[in-house]
Amino acid sequence: MTSTQMLLNRRALMASCLAAPLLGHSAHAAAPLADALGRPVSLKRPAERIVLGFNYEEFTAIAGPAGWNRVVGFSKTLWSDWRPSVFKRYMKPIPRLAELPDVGTTDDNSFSLEKVLALRPDLVILPEWSFANLSAQIKQMESLGIAVIIIDYNAELPERHVASTRAMGFATASDERAEALINLYTGKLADIRRRVAGVSVKPKVYVELGQGGPSTVGNTYTTSMWGKLIDMVGADNIATGHVAGAWGPLNPEYVLAANPDAIFIAGSSWVSRPAAVVTGFDADISLTRARLAPYAQRQGWPELKAIREGQLFAIEHGLSRALFDYTAAYYIAKQVFPAQFADIDPVAELRRYHETFLPVTFEGCWMARLAPSAA
Amino acid sequence: MTGLTGAAVADWHRANLRRSAVIVSGAMLLVVSFAVDLATGPAMLPIPAVLRSLAGMAGDPMLDAIVRTLRLPIALMAIVVGAALGISGAVMQTILNNPLASSYTLGISAGAGFGAALAITLGAVLPVPEAWAIPLAAFAFAGIACALVGGVGQMRGATSELLVLAGIACLFMFQALLSLLQFLASPEALQQIVFWLFGSLLRASMMNVAVVAVVLVLLLPVLLGDAWQLTALKLGDDRAQALGVRVSRLRLRAFVVVSLLTGAAVAFVGTIGFIGLVAPHLARMLVGEDQRHMLPASAVFGALLLSVASVTSKLILPGTVFPIGIITALIGVPFFAWLVLSSGRAR
Repeated sequence: MTSTQMLLNRRALMASCLAAPLLGHSAHAAAPLADALGRPVSLKRPAERIVLGFNYEEFTAIAGPAGWNRVVGFSKTLWSDWRPSVFKRYMKPIPRLAELPDVGTTDDNSFSLEKVLALRPDLVILPEWSFANLSAQIKQMESLGIAVIIIDYNAELPERHVASTRAMGFATASDERAEALINLYTGKLADIRRRVAGVSVKPKVYVELGQGGPSTVGNTYTTSMWGKLIDMVGADNIATGHVAGAWGPLNPEYVLAANPDAIFIAGSSWVSRPAAVVTGFDADISLTRARLAPYAQRQGWPELKAIREGQLFAIEHGLSRALFDYTAAYYIAKQVFPAQFADIDPVAELRRYHETFLPVTFEGCWMARLAPSAA
Repeated sequence: MTGLTGAAVADWHRANLRRSAVIVSGAMLLVVSFAVDLATGPAMLPIPAVLRSLAGMAGDPMLDAIVRTLRLPIALMAIVVGAALGISGAVMQTILNNPLASSYTLGISAGAGFGAALAITLGAVLPVPEAWAIPLAAFAFAGIACALVGGVGQMRGATSELLVLAGIACLFMFQALLSLLQFLASPEALQQIVFWLFGSLLRASMMNVAVVAVVLVLLLPVLLGDAWQLTALKLGDDRAQALGVRVSRLRLRAFVVVSLLTGAAVAFVGTIGFIGLVAPHLARMLVGEDQRHMLPASAVFGALLLSVASVTSKLILPGTVFPIGIITALIGVPFFAWLVLSSGRAR
């Protein structure tokens, strides 16, 4: 067992130990609430006027579509522009999304505190990646009595998934659903760990964002998102230690030299990205494969082990920072450890999650192998 | 003979009156722009509510927070920073005898940008809270950029052309260092650096406004006190010297003063270009070379330009705030071209 795995195991153990006593408490409004960063948050629950900054599908899973009736504003473009096909699906069960005010986002510097305050929220939920840029604004909101909860699914740290989910469950008085989600999530992680525990080989994996198409060297991920998921399944991320930050592009020559055993291109339903790998609700598997195919023809790639053995895959990028990310972990694990995960159907897992917790019907192509025969 | 002199004096008085009128009308436009700046914003507040909050009679903490802690500092910041950039641009153009000189073209803004980026990249390592570390570092590096350029200016036989060239070298050096930092920075820090470089009034607080205002109020009299000598400088170094101006000392003093002014202004708002270039040209066109009028006019027009840009940044895409540095450049470039072309034809 690697040190990373041990660390993850310890974290999960800690999380589950912490979870048990908190379960009883969280039903009381007076219980102290901590967000994903461990910041104490005091709020009167259920929050009646919520501004939601990110992780809309997680919020929906926890609070249900009715939970959106208490949302008064959100960072719209992160959903409507980043995941247009997903956003379109959710507009049907949650028609309110169409007219809900947009408060902007730190991602393009459009976040407007003035807009947030004008909505008179009692709770603002923000992702961790906005936290550093908004420290002054958060202080200001808190001084006005607005509770601020920081959530973090991007870090792919199990304890932050748990804390984020629990905090949103508490704030929306949906503790039961939140705990059910936490149990599902931690249970699946434990299952993955159990299955890979005895494996001694570490297959080499490369993940690249397929937003710009094969002519662009897309970002890869090390200490968050896909990077953490690869670590979790016990594979060897070729990018680890070779990207300056948590993500960034690798030198194409290095990818050739590393000769990965499996390559995953992260797709989505981005707008105006004609060469992007298309995945998600509206993606047809033939289109996904058509967009994925040119990657296999990149300079030098036909010689790579992964390409020769048909181990080139498309996978929905949104799965890399979500409560249902375990389905992506299953998918990656199944490709590199086929024996250990033979009985696992990641797509069926994702379908079941949608059926149980989300108000939209699961369909489309979310993960696929390039070569249809081997799939 | 006396009649002729009398007519000349009367002419001079009339011209002065006209110049003062230009400055006063600029100031009146500035008041209007300031009011519009306060009245507009993504929250779409009704104007009576804004007035009630300003008068302290709203009794609504959320409304007060929007009007007094968000809009008021931004509107005031636009004015003090615009004035500081306008006047420092005017003085630089005068002492360097170069119409292209400004804090931007001389690398002072680039120095500030590098300082800010350094503070952002180092982030938590610094012992100072980030809200102050960034402006302090920006100010310090603006100072270093000035010292480099000014140091060259102190060399024996240094001409104003040499000073401008030193400024351009300084600009490229800090841009290269900045690119290096951007390459090394984490994605989050990189994003913060890019947005800092865009320039934004959104970071304004009453405290920041007060700092820039104090710097402006302390340094303005120094520059205005030198107005006559600065005007003499426009005749050329030799003639100014013949008139009793100690040219190199004047140049150094003025350079230090405008450096402080620019550093304080850009430290809080980031790189906002073109104000320091356009405002002095506008002032020169309307009130002439005499620094006694040109300096205050540059301050007023600088403030007016940035205040109008602040309003525009909110109206261009209602609901979002467009980066103001992009606005000033987009308005500034065609405006500048028009200024230059029309004054070229007049000659």
